[in-house]
Amino acid sequence: MPDSRTGTRRPRPEVATKLPRGTTARVVLASTRNAWADLTATFTITSWTLGWLGRIIAQVVFYALIGSLLGSPDRIRYLFIGSAVLATAMEALLVVSTTTRERYSGTLPLLVAAPTRLWPVLLGRSVQWLPSGVATATVALFVVGHAFGVSFTLGDGFAAFGVLLLVAVTTYGYGLALAAVVLRFMRLRNWATNLSYTVMMLVCGVMVPLTFWPPWVQWFAQIFPLTHDLQVIRLLESGTYTAREVLLHLGLSVLVALGWYTIGALLLERLVTTGRRDGTIEFAEA
Amino acid sequence: MTAATVESHGYGALAYLNGFLAGLERELRELRRSPDRLMALVTAPMLTLVFLAIMLHAGRDDLASFAVLAPALLVLWQMALQTSGDTVESERENGSLEALVVAPAPFPAVITGRITAVTAVSLLGFVESWVVAWLVFGVHVEIHHPSVFLGAVLTTGYATAGSAMALAALFVRTRAARAFQNSLTYPFYVLGGVMVPVSYLPDWLEPLTRLVFLSWSSDLMRAAVGPEPVPDVALHLVMIVLLGTVGAIIGGVLVRRALAEIRRTGTIGHA
Repeated sequence: MPDSRTGTRRPRPEVATKLPRGTTARVVLASTRNAWADLTATFTITSWTLGWLGRIIAQVVFYALIGSLLGSPDRIRYLFIGSAVLATAMEALLVVSTTTRERYSGTLPLLVAAPTRLWPVLLGRSVQWLPSGVATATVALFVVGHAFGVSFTLGDGFAAFGVLLLVAVTTYGYGLALAAVVLRFMRLRNWATNLSYTVMMLVCGVMVPLTFWPPWVQWFAQIFPLTHDLQVIRLLESGTYTAREVLLHLGLSVLVALGWYTIGALLLERLVTTGRRDGTIEFAEA
Repeated sequence: MTAATVESHGYGALAYLNGFLAGLERELRELRRSPDRLMALVTAPMLTLVFLAIMLHAGRDDLASFAVLAPALLVLWQMALQTSGDTVESERENGSLEALVVAPAPFPAVITGRITAVTAVSLLGFVESWVVAWLVFGVHVEIHHPSVFLGAVLTTGYATAGSAMALAALFVRTRAARAFQNSLTYPFYVLGGVMVPVSYLPDWLEPLTRLVFLSWSSDLMRAAVGPEPVPDVALHLVMIVLLGTVGAIIGGVLVRRALAEIRRTGTIGHA
């Protein structure tokens, strides 16, 4: 739009898309540009590969070695798969950190004042962790895994890769809802992420089967999409499964994730509404 | 007058002591105000449950002591990493690193004080792990050689502080302190035999593991918990102290060098 004072065009953010202006999808897409910029500012290819990937592989090996201590190849495989897939979920949970950083850095009030809703912005804001999480687990499962007895047929491997994508996307929904809560209790942001992560490790069938726990814990574990996705990856690795049970677990995962995405969006909009009303969307840390 | 306000313009022993006490006091205040810094103490009980669940599910109650010791060692290392990285990085973000560096109190002494405070608090991780194992799973891990165990804990605390000093030197030089903090966790847990003794690792890795003080600490602590006589107590204690001292000396020298260099080049802040 020409500037009435200077006759020149006002600079506009570059969002190369044919999506119509003012739509939610366009806002999400525009926000993802921020996410990719964040990723390239956080990591170089070398620091990601030698630093981050190396750390995740060491983490997976650390847990798999417990299987060696127990003297059981089955336990090695079980722990390796669980901790590799958990890495994807762990990175998806970083949505809490990057979302709440908007409040720390004082950009939250600007986002609230912008002529769009908050949830699409924050939905796209942290997607950089999804490919990173999928990539680390992919290297762990399909490359390093061979040394620990983890193997997939070609078809099941592709399917498992697809499920890893699902782990990232579904856990991101849980993380977004958690971030919406933590935006009100900023001091707890790292606690919330770490506690969620270790609770998942404990109850989602990552280190021990769900059946190890009392029934109420097993029911509680169902609220995490990871519980269902991980089950599918274990079935694919074992090579003995029926399409029905795979689809059932995947369906449950998607259903649970949709619930979390909805809760996240509602909580974020509520944060905006109440924040505008009582003036608690401030420029500094809460 | 508090230790933090004592003036010290020399670089003698008194200046170091004052700087150390100021750092100690500052960190204890910080720990009270910032729950984030105590996070490792929150995750330790959860990890105890994770490790114990693995052992109990496999029917290996005899390995419960491994599961109880590992989170405590993990906490020690994690908090040392966090503090040495955050101390430098938060001062840098705050714009106060420059002021800290030019202050009369020697910078390495202040950092050592802060690291010592965190290490002392981190030792609570051992108590937490024991209590959680007993409360949730009813597992009581008896320490058959308490004096050896206490010696191992104290020397490990010392070595942790020494190593954190070396890490702080690394973090002063880099702008990517947080990335290093993340990367230096699990590789050290593996090499330090925190959960699984290093004898389970490939033979070619063993020389490397022996350069990590955690490998001596974890071996000694596990042996101190068991009923059998503890072999090579002195060797283990000496190695823990030695590696911690080497870390502290290297760290101290590197911090001084880094400070001299960034003073000369003016590259300390974000500019």
